[in-house]
Amino acid sequence: MKIGLEVHVQLPTRSKMFCSCPTTDAEAPNTHVCPTCLGMPGVKPVMNKKAVEYGIKLAKMLNCEIPEVMWFSRKTYFYPDMSKGVQITQYENTVGKKGIYYVNGGRPIHITKIQLEEDPGKTKRFGDQSSLVDYNRAGTPLTEIVTDPDFKTPAEAREFLRQLIADIRHTIDLPDDGERSIRADCNISVGVERVEVKNVSGLKNVERALTFEFVRQTKILKAGGKIERETRGFDEERGVTFSVRKKEWEADYGYINEPDLGIFHIGDLARSITIKESPTKMAVRLSQEYKIDQKTADQFVSTSVGLAKMFEVLVKATDIQTALSWTKGTISANWKTFEACGKDPEGITKIIKKLSEGRITDVEADIELKAYMAGRDACAIREQCGDLCKIIEKYLDANPEIVNEIKRNEKAINRVIGHVMKETGGKYSSADIVSETKNALCHRL
Amino acid sequence: MKDLLAKLSKLNDKYSMFTTITADKDAGDSKFLFSAKDGLTSKDMETKCGSRILEGYRPVFDATAIAKMREAGGKLIGKTNMDEFGFGSFSTNSPFGVPKNPYDLERSCGGSSGGAACAASVIEYHVALGVSTGGSVCCPASFCGVYGLVPTYGRVSRYGVIDNGNSLDKVGLLSSCPFQIAKFLPIISGKDPKDPTSCCQPELEIKGKKIKSVAVPENALDGLSKDVRSGFNASLDTLRGMGIDVEMITMPSLKYAIPAYYIIETSEASTNLASYVGMRYGRQDGDLSLKFDDYFNYFRTEYFGDETKRRIILGTYARMAGLRDRYYSKSLRVRLHIISSYKEILKEHDAVLTPTMPFVSPRFDEISNMSPVESYSADRLTVPPNLTGMPHMSVPCGYDGNGMPMGMQIVTDHWQEDRLLTFAKEWGAVFDVRRPEVPL
Ligand SMILES: [Zn+2]
Repeated sequence: MKIGLEVHVQLPTRSKMFCSCPTTDAEAPNTHVCPTCLGMPGVKPVMNKKAVEYGIKLAKMLNCEIPEVMWFSRKTYFYPDMSKGVQITQYENTVGKKGIYYVNGGRPIHITKIQLEEDPGKTKRFGDQSSLVDYNRAGTPLTEIVTDPDFKTPAEAREFLRQLIADIRHTIDLPDDGERSIRADCNISVGVERVEVKNVSGLKNVERALTFEFVRQTKILKAGGKIERETRGFDEERGVTFSVRKKEWEADYGYINEPDLGIFHIGDLARSITIKESPTKMAVRLSQEYKIDQKTADQFVSTSVGLAKMFEVLVKATDIQTALSWTKGTISANWKTFEACGKDPEGITKIIKKLSEGRITDVEADIELKAYMAGRDACAIREQCGDLCKIIEKYLDANPEIVNEIKRNEKAINRVIGHVMKETGGKYSSADIVSETKNALCHRL
Repeated sequence: MKDLLAKLSKLNDKYSMFTTITADKDAGDSKFLFSAKDGLTSKDMETKCGSRILEGYRPVFDATAIAKMREAGGKLIGKTNMDEFGFGSFSTNSPFGVPKNPYDLERSCGGSSGGAACAASVIEYHVALGVSTGGSVCCPASFCGVYGLVPTYGRVSRYGVIDNGNSLDKVGLLSSCPFQIAKFLPIISGKDPKDPTSCCQPELEIKGKKIKSVAVPENALDGLSKDVRSGFNASLDTLRGMGIDVEMITMPSLKYAIPAYYIIETSEASTNLASYVGMRYGRQDGDLSLKFDDYFNYFRTEYFGDETKRRIILGTYARMAGLRDRYYSKSLRVRLHIISSYKEILKEHDAVLTPTMPFVSPRFDEISNMSPVESYSADRLTVPPNLTGMPHMSVPCGYDGNGMPMGMQIVTDHWQEDRLLTFAKEWGAVFDVRRPEVPL
């Protein structure tokens, strides 16, 4: 089985690729349009430089060759949502070609090319007699990433896509809802002939569509049938693919060079652009540099690149073991909350430093971290904690027999907890009380 | 000026040079009047580009050249008639009447800016905006006995030019007075953010740089009509008399220009024409319950003219997979070859000179007997400079026995419009332009 993907990613420019219309969601159909994106006679496309920069960034991320000059082409076909009757895309000298991308730091996937192009509009069926066309989307900048047929299983294609999306998001600061703007055409051949499943969105659906095709094609071949070369669609609800059109020959788009845009000398621009380290590359580096296992490193970056960076800061502030166990534990568990409340990561480093210098205990560090990462004031917490400690110590002082009982039976700790809870009237969480009690007992047991 | 607006529609009845004329009979506070070929979009006037498919289309924007003329105080008096989408050499491929040659109403004005040349010939000191793709300014200028200038590709913004062949289209100027052209070219020139192919060269400077030597490619003179040959020879003598050095040369590359041109032009044009499907502008009729491809087919079959359909088919063929390398891509290489052959000659000479058209304006009955190949090869002298993007100009240079005008075409290197304009003024001083007789 051979699988190749063509991944379409919407670039996060504020205006369209060849005009100044906004790319944001419009309130009504055909409101974010102008003569240029409607293809009125006499208009000329004007390139959005930002889109070229994004293209170069992605080409670099995929380790592509970037040419000194690139140009655009016109792809001609008739469809109501194509305002100009031609789509401006790249055919020769695309923004990147011959790239390579490693899945999970291991198997290489070859990138055939990465090209820039504009999105067409949208057609909507309206009743059974009419269709409505909305050109708001027409001219939105896209990149298309084309892979060689290197995938061996649907799961591998999915894993590639997951990683790719995370990397793209980080490299060009794609907004979090960006997944809806990522669509893939999935090419799969079990026998000789290739079938293309168009426009599948979402990781899960890519795997489902490919798996369905694998089963369908295998059955046909086993029954002695022949796979027809065709384009298929994917029905998300039923999880099946269906035939859209037979492809007896390659569609002929009659490409010519886009004469209105000319040639772009992008060599210098490409050399001047540096990209952020992608999550994938970072995970590989973390595992090698700090000798931690790949899985943990992957977990760090897939939770957040910020968390992975935190780990690196902590390694410098303390040592690998301390940094590792705390990053894996409390810090990673509370990371999303922490990112949401927007506090300075420096505070976390301070707490861990205090811990490694022996100024606070593990339990105290844990409490402080949780409080700090939840956005609560660490000082106030410490005072509160002081109160809690006092209450616990006071009770233990007054009931020394309970310490002995706990030595014999751990469950006896519940009596302490019950008492403190009653005393504090639900002011502290039972988890906090438990950890504080254990901390207090440490000194007595 | 006032006078002209009042009699414009009467003049037009006689010559059919405009497809739309202004309803204003008052020039208002405008400083000058001008006309524009209907292939340039105009905000307040219908723009049809010579095609039924665009009937009723009122663009929401002015072409940059028109906008700049208006900013300079000009008033647009009308849109001039043309071959459909610029496809033709005689302005006979127009469904909106055919402009008539002011020297003989039975003859063509040339194309595709035929209406523009007619207006420039009939109206004194008038300046007309035209568009040239393969000769659409020089050919009608020659047939109508006026000056026609095509600037360097990119000198004038193409924003608002309804595309024929985008890599070839250039806005040009026509007038019976060379000083008018020199005056208005700087006005319409310059970088335009709305057209990425508009120039980033220094502004046009007119410093009076002269043409001191011209090269005449001898092989371009084969097949000239007798009258044009003798008129042209007489002009060469006049040039020598002006102190200009005339040298006969050969330029074998010229013979490849026509095939390369028609492949590039039709390839580009056929993609431009893909947007005309009756959905968003211009004419919209037909059975809307049809499937979209059937509707598109119906619409395009019904409203494109024959020549337009011919070029769509030629262009689509030339860029098809499997043929693309042999035709489209090869033509692009031929084009580079032709550019370098001009560059080579222009190292030694200031300009390349030929007649503009191989014959004077033909009669309409002669045109209807021409095959497409015959009419395409009529452009064999105007096509080469258009392919190179070099500035060139047709100046009136003689009259045949019937009093029909002929022109010669001067080509200089890129961005050297200055030399052309200076030459035109000097030529205007020595050559006596005969104006046609205009009634009223
Ligand atoms: Zn727009």
